Amino acid sequence: MSRRLAHILVAAAFAALVAVAFSRVNYAWNWSAVWEYRDKFIQGWLTTVALSLAALVASTAIGAVASVCLQSRNVLVEAVGRVYVELIRGTPLLVQLLIGFYVIANAVGLENRFVVGVLVLSLFSGAYMAEIFRGGLAAIPQTQRDSARAIGLTPWQSLRLVILPQAVRLVLPAVAGQLVSLVKDSSLLSVIAISEFTLNAQEVNAVTYSTLESFLPLAAGYLVLTLPLSALSRWLEGRFRYEA
Amino acid sequence: MLAISAFLALAASAATAAEPLRVGMELSYPPFEMTDPQGRPTGVSVRLAEALAKHLGRPLVIENIAFDGLIPALKTGRIDCIISSLTATPERSKSIAFSEPYLRTGLALLVGARSPVQSAADLDVKGRVIAVKKGTTGHRYATTALKQARTLVLDKENTAVLEVVQGKADAFIYDSLSVYQNQKRHADTTRAILEPFREETWAIGLRQGDEPLRGQVNEFLKAFRAAGGFERLGDEFLPEEKRAFRERGIPFYF
Repeated sequence: MSRRLAHILVAAAFAALVAVAFSRVNYAWNWSAVWEYRDKFIQGWLTTVALSLAALVASTAIGAVASVCLQSRNVLVEAVGRVYVELIRGTPLLVQLLIGFYVIANAVGLENRFVVGVLVLSLFSGAYMAEIFRGGLAAIPQTQRDSARAIGLTPWQSLRLVILPQAVRLVLPAVAGQLVSLVKDSSLLSVIAISEFTLNAQEVNAVTYSTLESFLPLAAGYLVLTLPLSALSRWLEGRFRYEA
Repeated sequence: MLAISAFLALAASAATAAEPLRVGMELSYPPFEMTDPQGRPTGVSVRLAEALAKHLGRPLVIENIAFDGLIPALKTGRIDCIISSLTATPERSKSIAFSEPYLRTGLALLVGARSPVQSAADLDVKGRVIAVKKGTTGHRYATTALKQARTLVLDKENTAVLEVVQGKADAFIYDSLSVYQNQKRHADTTRAILEPFREETWAIGLRQGDEPLRGQVNEFLKAFRAAGGFERLGDEFLPEEKRAFRERGIPFYF
């Protein structure tokens, strides 16, 4: 049996299980009320896509810079990286959003909640990325660097041709997991009244009282975003194999 | 086998004899639904629920559920009724039943101190920003009657207030009592427009078709009012507000 066929079979079996569970819930389905609000779902989904894409790029960049800080020989730079990572990873995103928007952004006069939301989300995710990147680089044995120097590669060539290709392969699964988390974490931006996918689904629920009908499309909408991310990561892993 | 079924039957009858009354409310709306410093539920609605359970001769279980999750919880049978400062509206009547109303109030505006807004009608203008709490009657009003303005939907009352305090929103639409209290807390940055532009009544939410409980609840409300129960709750939890609202002639009474 091919791998793809196995995936499809297992997914179908799981869907059937869930369908049976749903058929046993004593629940009056009312899809028409939710259908009426389809524009709201679409608009919220697009906002989530935009938020996620922006935060995806920004958090990768922030993570790369922070991981360089973490490995710096300059104690002050290292301290900045370390304090950033521990402060962000040790506190809830909810608190960071509320303080970030109502205290810090308010103090500096930054009024655009979309920008503040992307910024806070990127800083949040960037802290995790920094440690993933650092771990990937640390996993490359010292002998690799020594060998690279022995065959006369400059430090930059050694990084570009020897260290990074191996490190990328090592960190890809963890980075993909982090990006999937980021897409879902963007739902928390609703606390600062950003009209994203989850908030819009909750609003439809609040108006129509159709809880399951509002939240099932929500789950599907997030899967549409997260599954391609995982697929992309697996494809890249293949490309960065030794043989390639 | 016989012994087991007998035991089950006994257990079932014992359960129905003292089946707990599960009351849903969101404990974040003082002084109606709140928690004391020890984390126990307290407030007007909690006292009301206690009196109702006593009247029915059933033990009381209070379920703390987010406001927009109360009606789904009632519909799916997780709770028996809602006592959570719930406004009886025609929209909600499509999915749940209501008891007789027990409190009369109205929607009011908390506006920024420097905002030019003088009435709800002033909000129905392009460029105005309205803060609302998700799933409340204020949320409904903003999206249906004030279509020109932009609506900010927030999870919590306090962030909606912050939006007004920081001038990010022109107004927060909420019930007159909460607007009064929030204005006092932020006297320098906000104004209260308490004259209600829409009167509302609060009632106990019940499952559609649960007529026996509805009859009992209405009977209880009548008896509770006759015994002066509501007056006592008002004097205990809202003495100052009661006076202030009476002086200004703003409807807020049990």
